[in-house]
Amino acid sequence: MATKVENWREKEAGIDEIFEKYPEIPKIIILKTDVHRRGYVLSEKAERLLEEGNYQSEADTIFGEKLGAKKIPIGLTFRDGTSLIGGYRSNEGIRDHYVIDAIDGKFYVTDNGNVYEEVDFWKEPDFYHKKTSKGTPMGEVVNVRPQRLNFAISRVCHFWDTPGEGCKYCYVGINGIEATKKNIPALYDYDEIAESVAEAIKQQGRFSMIMVTTGSILTGKKVFDDEVDEIIKAFEKVKPIFNRKDLKVQLIGSAYDKEQLIRLKEATGIIGYTADLEVANKEAFEWICPGKAKHVGYEEWKKRLYDAVEVFGRGNVNTGIVGGVETAQPNGFSSEEEALKAVLSEAEELAQHGVSVAYIVWGICGIFKDQVPPSLDYYIALAKGLDEISRKYGLEAYFDDYRRCGNHPNTDLGRI
Amino acid sequence: MAITLSENVIELLRNRESKKVLATVDKNGIPNVSFKGSITVNEEGKIELIELLETSQTNKNLTYSLWFDKTVAISVWGEGGTEYEIKGIPRKVHIDGPYYEKKYVESLERNPINDISGVWIIEPTEVRNQTYAERKKEQDEKYPIIGHLDKDRKL
Repeated sequence: MATKVENWREKEAGIDEIFEKYPEIPKIIILKTDVHRRGYVLSEKAERLLEEGNYQSEADTIFGEKLGAKKIPIGLTFRDGTSLIGGYRSNEGIRDHYVIDAIDGKFYVTDNGNVYEEVDFWKEPDFYHKKTSKGTPMGEVVNVRPQRLNFAISRVCHFWDTPGEGCKYCYVGINGIEATKKNIPALYDYDEIAESVAEAIKQQGRFSMIMVTTGSILTGKKVFDDEVDEIIKAFEKVKPIFNRKDLKVQLIGSAYDKEQLIRLKEATGIIGYTADLEVANKEAFEWICPGKAKHVGYEEWKKRLYDAVEVFGRGNVNTGIVGGVETAQPNGFSSEEEALKAVLSEAEELAQHGVSVAYIVWGICGIFKDQVPPSLDYYIALAKGLDEISRKYGLEAYFDDYRRCGNHPNTDLGRI
Repeated sequence: MAITLSENVIELLRNRESKKVLATVDKNGIPNVSFKGSITVNEEGKIELIELLETSQTNKNLTYSLWFDKTVAISVWGEGGTEYEIKGIPRKVHIDGPYYEKKYVESLERNPINDISGVWIIEPTEVRNQTYAERKKEQDEKYPIIGHLDKDRKL
């Protein structure tokens, strides 16, 4: 049961006040951030319009989605090409949702009687309902964003194997446990992935990058050795699809040591590497991500990111954080001001070593299902602060920008 | 405020032989100009252009203009010296979807190395006839004080 913030409109600066407070931040990015933070629902008219169009629905992937009879929107696109990933019914019951309404045959973000912006839902790619040679709908093997293909290696994150060691904000781990209970294999079928990718990229202009991710696999001679091996095995199937050695691929994986990083880069040809620190503060990290803290440790995670810059090159390595999770209670920051200061300080240290930071808006779920994400003011200050740090250190994030990812308000700001 | 372009301006903008230049500014007010042969007028009467390069200054400046309602300017020059300046505000960029993919394929057909960033839609807000002969006539009628005396000398 979500924790409702009573009278939140009186307690927090509303979006119109935030527009005024940050005139240098585009209103579209502020709105996108707030729609993500508060979530959205559809009016009846919008539901009907969605059903009529060739719009993408959620699919069965590592992120726990399923192709169903009724269309469930998976993301929005704004006029400037910015995406909002998820958001449908997210953070429900905490603050009021935005409502996507249909006006004159177009979708608009509305709230409390105000019409803010025209948006559109993501279009379904051509390959989505085709089947692999094993009969699986390809949309359940590889899922998509407006310009990106996503696939995963392991649907199970083994930090969750030991009770109490899973990351507290995460639903991927919980979904993995459910999959194990249903005897669904932990690893995806790499032949099906390769077939689906090959089919997907026949659509001209549809995809500009692949993102590969995986639940952490802790086994091997060293921690993550087996994870690296599995990624390499998957790329043995995927790589022959392409006519080049270096691939437009971002891997979001665990924090590998230098030997693993070199092995991975040489065997796969991936260009971009991300190892999500998730929480940019040592004490909060150790509480929120106990498995990562136990098997790698906060300082070692950062060191491995710095090593990755040597292997993949400056501009090709970043780390993701769950924006706002550092304010989780009872052990997180109780002051947004102190939390922001701490996160930006860590981000600056990472940037000094060539690692940029990308945040996502905290979607409440998992062990933290009763938590409350911070104010819009916090999220905009965080986006602004991270963007300023990236500019200061000349870190561009094209492999994780508005087009290739779309989930990070701070990298959106890097467009100009 | 949005305006409707006249037929002769639409024709000039749609003509592939016309020379078309786009002027934009960045967030610090620094100008940038670029030849944009792709500039045309779409079926809704809005100006459309294809930006090929994701990392171009034009792309950054168009984004800035869309975000902050800033005006861009287009100069179009056609047969016989006909010239117009059109001002407008970028309102939308297609970076995906069927229309984007159609333009992507057309762009590849023109040049296989192309890989378009976006299809920009600009709402026109002002048009000025900049054809020299007409501008000169207008100036002479409105400001008879301007001009050199040697040209007024009785021969």
